[in-house]
Amino acid sequence: MEDLLLYIDRWFWLGVGAIGFAILFNVPRRTILTIFLLGAFGGTLKFIILALGGSIIMGSFFGAVLVGFLSILAAHYKHAPPFVLAIPAVIPMVPGAFAYRAMLGVIHLTEKVDHDTFLKLLEETTDNGLKAFFVLAALSLGVSAPMLIFRRESVKNMKVRIKS
Amino acid sequence: MNLTGEEQVNELSKILLEVGSLLMSSGANSARIRITINRIAGAYGFDVDLLITHRALMLTIYDEEQDYFYSRLKRTSPHSANFRMVSGISRMSWKIVEENWDFDQVEQELARLKSLPHYPRWVVLVMVSAAGAAFCRVFGGVYLELLVTFVATFIGLFVRQEAVKKSFNPYLAIFFAAFVSSLIAGAALKLQIGENPEYAFATSVLYLIPGIPLINSLSDLLDGNIMNGIVRGVNGLMISFSIALGMIGAIVIYGI
Repeated sequence: MEDLLLYIDRWFWLGVGAIGFAILFNVPRRTILTIFLLGAFGGTLKFIILALGGSIIMGSFFGAVLVGFLSILAAHYKHAPPFVLAIPAVIPMVPGAFAYRAMLGVIHLTEKVDHDTFLKLLEETTDNGLKAFFVLAALSLGVSAPMLIFRRESVKNMKVRIKS
Repeated sequence: MNLTGEEQVNELSKILLEVGSLLMSSGANSARIRITINRIAGAYGFDVDLLITHRALMLTIYDEEQDYFYSRLKRTSPHSANFRMVSGISRMSWKIVEENWDFDQVEQELARLKSLPHYPRWVVLVMVSAAGAAFCRVFGGVYLELLVTFVATFIGLFVRQEAVKKSFNPYLAIFFAAFVSSLIAGAALKLQIGENPEYAFATSVLYLIPGIPLINSLSDLLDGNIMNGIVRGVNGLMISFSIALGMIGAIVIYGI
């Protein structure tokens, strides 16, 4: 029960994060609710996978795949290209914390530090930097996964197949 | 309209380049720009070859019947995300195909899309600050930290908007914003306001993360537009370093 409440809490705040960026990117007003739902469910899936023992990279990938598929379904009803819906929705999953720790690490490395601290810093920085890169790669691969699988240049062509 | 072949090509190339440069500066990836331009050109029965770069677009239209080439180059305007434009152009491109729009209609629609309002400034400020607080919450912060992040994001974003308005270098504008945000969140960390003020410090600059350049970079690389992918990636990296420099400024001042 405690867990469920925690997930509902996160679900809500992930959605808020997504629509914050949606507004910053000036999306059409009709898509805001969709982006909230996409961001909330994608991010929640990431946390569920993390809780099941998956890595952050795997979690982000499947979260982004979910967002990618849902964005294609929603694109038909909201008359907006899927990536307009998908990019703000995956932004809460962008590895900001890893990227920022990696950048701070790089800057600390240039300061005067002794050998042992340097090695420890280098280890942390590499770890954070690699995680940031691979999470980002997983996100953009996940968002484009549906297009890569269906091999269509536009979702408009897929409409016929879904309805027939 | 009774245009001769050459006038038609001239007019079409203007429209296509306008569409392409609007898409590029609004945050579309290279594949989408190519697909959209080919779709519009195809609707008028022309073949188009395109060179897409970050700062300029080049296109050649080829009229097979008259064996006539036309080339043109256009600079893209400074980049700022505007998905309403991307969405509007995408809808327009389908209407051109399905409803056989003529050039006048397309130009009117482009003018209409350009005049569409952005969200009011206070809505943007409040919603982005709420998003910052949301990240802090997802990290595990509680209400006092959420408030700190909200205030830090609000003032930081305000500073960035002002700096962009005064046409500072875009990276410098991001540096200012990151510096101000981390100064505010860093004060909370220094004075130990709340249980985990370091959450607020870490999330106070997340509104600046270059999500669109980095995601577009990877999707361009995936599509084989290696050059554009690298350019966008380096742009994202520059933004990330501007953020880090701003944070370092605050860290040095507070000694944390």
